[in-house]
Amino acid sequence: MKKTVPFIGILLIVCLVGILVRCTPGACLEETNSFLEASFYSNTTKEILVPDSLTISGSGQSDTLYNKAEGVKVASLPLNATTGKCTFVIRINGTDDTLQLIYSSYPHLISKECGYTFYHTLDTFFYSRNTIDYVYRTSNNITTLNEENIRIYY
Amino acid sequence: MRRIFAYTISLLLFLSGAGLYAQDTVFFPLKIRAGFDLIGPVVYIYNKDNLNLEGYLSLDRNEKMSYVIEGGYLKYKYSQYNYDYISTGVFTRIGVDFNLLKPEISLGKYWAGVGLRYGLSFYSSETPSFSHDNYWGTATSSIPQIKSTGHFFELTPGFKTELLRNFTVGWTIRLKLLISGGGTRDIKPIYIPGYGNGGKTVTLGVNYYISWNIPFKTRMVITKPVVPEEPEENEEEGLNQQTTDVRQ
Repeated sequence: MKKTVPFIGILLIVCLVGILVRCTPGACLEETNSFLEASFYSNTTKEILVPDSLTISGSGQSDTLYNKAEGVKVASLPLNATTGKCTFVIRINGTDDTLQLIYSSYPHLISKECGYTFYHTLDTFFYSRNTIDYVYRTSNNITTLNEENIRIYY
Repeated sequence: MRRIFAYTISLLLFLSGAGLYAQDTVFFPLKIRAGFDLIGPVVYIYNKDNLNLEGYLSLDRNEKMSYVIEGGYLKYKYSQYNYDYISTGVFTRIGVDFNLLKPEISLGKYWAGVGLRYGLSFYSSETPSFSHDNYWGTATSSIPQIKSTGHFFELTPGFKTELLRNFTVGWTIRLKLLISGGGTRDIKPIYIPGYGNGGKTVTLGVNYYISWNIPFKTRMVITKPVVPEEPEENEEEGLNQQTTDVRQ
């Protein structure tokens, strides 16, 4: 009996802690948006080259994603899940280029607390070559994990 | 002639009993139990979106161990600002319960111990609508019904006590470990019947059971076997003898 009583006490404590943990409401603390991650490289040195000024907006959208931003190493571009393609106007150091992305979208459950988001698979892309020399694809998977997808050489 | 035979048998039993020593015994009733959970129906009174019905059958192997099979049904609805979710299915768990109380304390009426379970869940889940907002606006979609199977383990500490003759009440905490929840890489189940939140590897649950017990056998359990002490002289002789045996 002496051995049983402490064990029952431990069981009670475990049970109470369990009930408390179970009753704690959850909150969404995770990233809920997936972005195409684009990094900027020098076509001359093939090294990372941060634009002095970067402005990016979605074609047909009034809001800008980046407005004369400085020191942007990686630009995060949200995609339109309903259309399967979208176009961005990218102004690097005062010169405009367009980047059109074609992709497929599919739902992804983040968590019970956060609900669903859309992940995308990059199919192909087209771009103008005013400042941009070429665009190199590093990954097709566009998720919430901040994985690099394209490199913009200029 | 019959009397002589009876006396002879009695005498033989008496003589053979001379070699036994005093010991404490308990007559322990082994039982079949059937019970159902009260928490699920009570929660349903307050939350009509969540119906969980479950019960169990158990069979005592001996005074320490029982075989258990549990079964249940779940209908779960969940809504929040950006999605609706429905999960419906049945589940079963099989395993054993270990009573940690001594037989002379338990007496077949009290149980404090721990159980181990393997759980299996067959269910369908559906997301009738969800929405996602980003720079381009709001995208809405839905996920059609998917049928899945979930597997999990449980550790179930708890207590039970007999309130009325052959009627027991008690509660159990369930510490659950998900082995496989089913679904796909992107569409994991949000709620698995019998397990809980499909997004977590470890979850907790609670049951409060009312059980009906049917005694089917009484087992005599020796609780204090008395081992006679050998006289010291004999022990020494025995040791010497043993030593001698080894040398030979």
